[in-house]
Amino acid sequence: MSGCPGSRTMTFSKDEDAGAVVGTAPSRLRQWPIQLHLVSPQAPYFQGADVVLAADCVAFAMGSFHEDYLKGKSLAIACPKLDSEQEAYLEKIRGLYEEAKINTLTVMIMQVPCCRGLLGLAVEALKASSRKVPVRYVVVGLRGEVLQEEWVEA
Amino acid sequence: MEKYLRTPIKEIIGKNPQVGTILEEFGIGCVPCSVGTCLLADIVEIHNLSPEDEETLMSRIAAVVYPGRPVVLPEPARKRRAEPRKIAYSPPMKALVEEHLWIRRFIAMVPAILDRFDVLSEADRALMSEGVDFIRSYADRFHHAKEEDLLFACFDPGLDILKAMHEDHKMGRVHVQGVVEALARKDPEGVAANLTGYAGILTEHIRKEDGILYPWMDRNLSTRQVGELFSKFAAVNERLVDNRKKHEAFVVRLEEIFSEKLMEVKR
Repeated sequence: MSGCPGSRTMTFSKDEDAGAVVGTAPSRLRQWPIQLHLVSPQAPYFQGADVVLAADCVAFAMGSFHEDYLKGKSLAIACPKLDSEQEAYLEKIRGLYEEAKINTLTVMIMQVPCCRGLLGLAVEALKASSRKVPVRYVVVGLRGEVLQEEWVEA
Repeated sequence: MEKYLRTPIKEIIGKNPQVGTILEEFGIGCVPCSVGTCLLADIVEIHNLSPEDEETLMSRIAAVVYPGRPVVLPEPARKRRAEPRKIAYSPPMKALVEEHLWIRRFIAMVPAILDRFDVLSEADRALMSEGVDFIRSYADRFHHAKEEDLLFACFDPGLDILKAMHEDHKMGRVHVQGVVEALARKDPEGVAANLTGYAGILTEHIRKEDGILYPWMDRNLSTRQVGELFSKFAAVNERLVDNRKKHEAFVVRLEEIFSEKLMEVKR
């Protein structure tokens, strides 16, 4: 165990149903790190996984995020408005499709217009990818409600 | 009413034909179904009606099966508003719908093919054999194999709706065998009857799958299953890419040959 604990790769549990109970709601997070700049497509928790790519604000807005969307999936988070060097994101998402051979990608964004950029990155990476993957997106309202849930037209 | 909810639809329509008409009004096409073993409760669930529509449908059916008697209706299965009627398929389901388009394009040519079919002409018999090859290789081996071996395998094989779909596939195969045998004995009526029968079954079958079955399956498949189906379908596509291209080119060629004739037949 060495290096910065903020970016050290960790897999918490392979058992989907064994959420760590902290407070009253179990955490469904199975890995660390989660920030898109910090994760690697080579990480074991991405291989063949169903991945959620969530905008930073989603998990705060949606009370049931862990149970309804994160359970059984791997995670990456990003902010398409404030994060820098987003061209690296494009390559990283493409790496998830091609190298990690992920099973599906679920892009979760807030209803605010700037959040669409994250979906745009996922779609652009899919077009550039030699391997196609089903991508769906979920638009979350400011009170945590699901406003839209669709598969991306490949 | 509980008794009727657990009754196969064909039995209900058999005793009360008006129920079939009421179902049709709600876009539920059980009347022409060749099996009809689906339970009324499952039919209502699978068609994803809004709570309001479900209540109206059930009260109208109740008025037919229990005339003049007060009936306690079941609580609508869906508390929230049904999803919009616009169908957004998942990627593997969308791929199957696109394959249906090729099959429908072939079926659309059937009246024109039969109109000028001469069983004594070697060229016409060869073309008919190509049509049989399209049905067997593309519609059946390529498309139905994906459905039966991969998609349907995600669901309980005992589901009545799946039994009905399997039955359609079987009846389609019987008609295709009928075309082959009629061709061999140079029987134009036999060819026409079986090819028309096949076209009728498949048209209705595709309508049910595109409009009802696939959207229901999409609502019930997990994200994991959607991804796995997508990969498995891609593997089938890759394995049979040459066949697929050949058969799609055949449909395009048919359209070039018969498009004018089709207009004549329609007039």
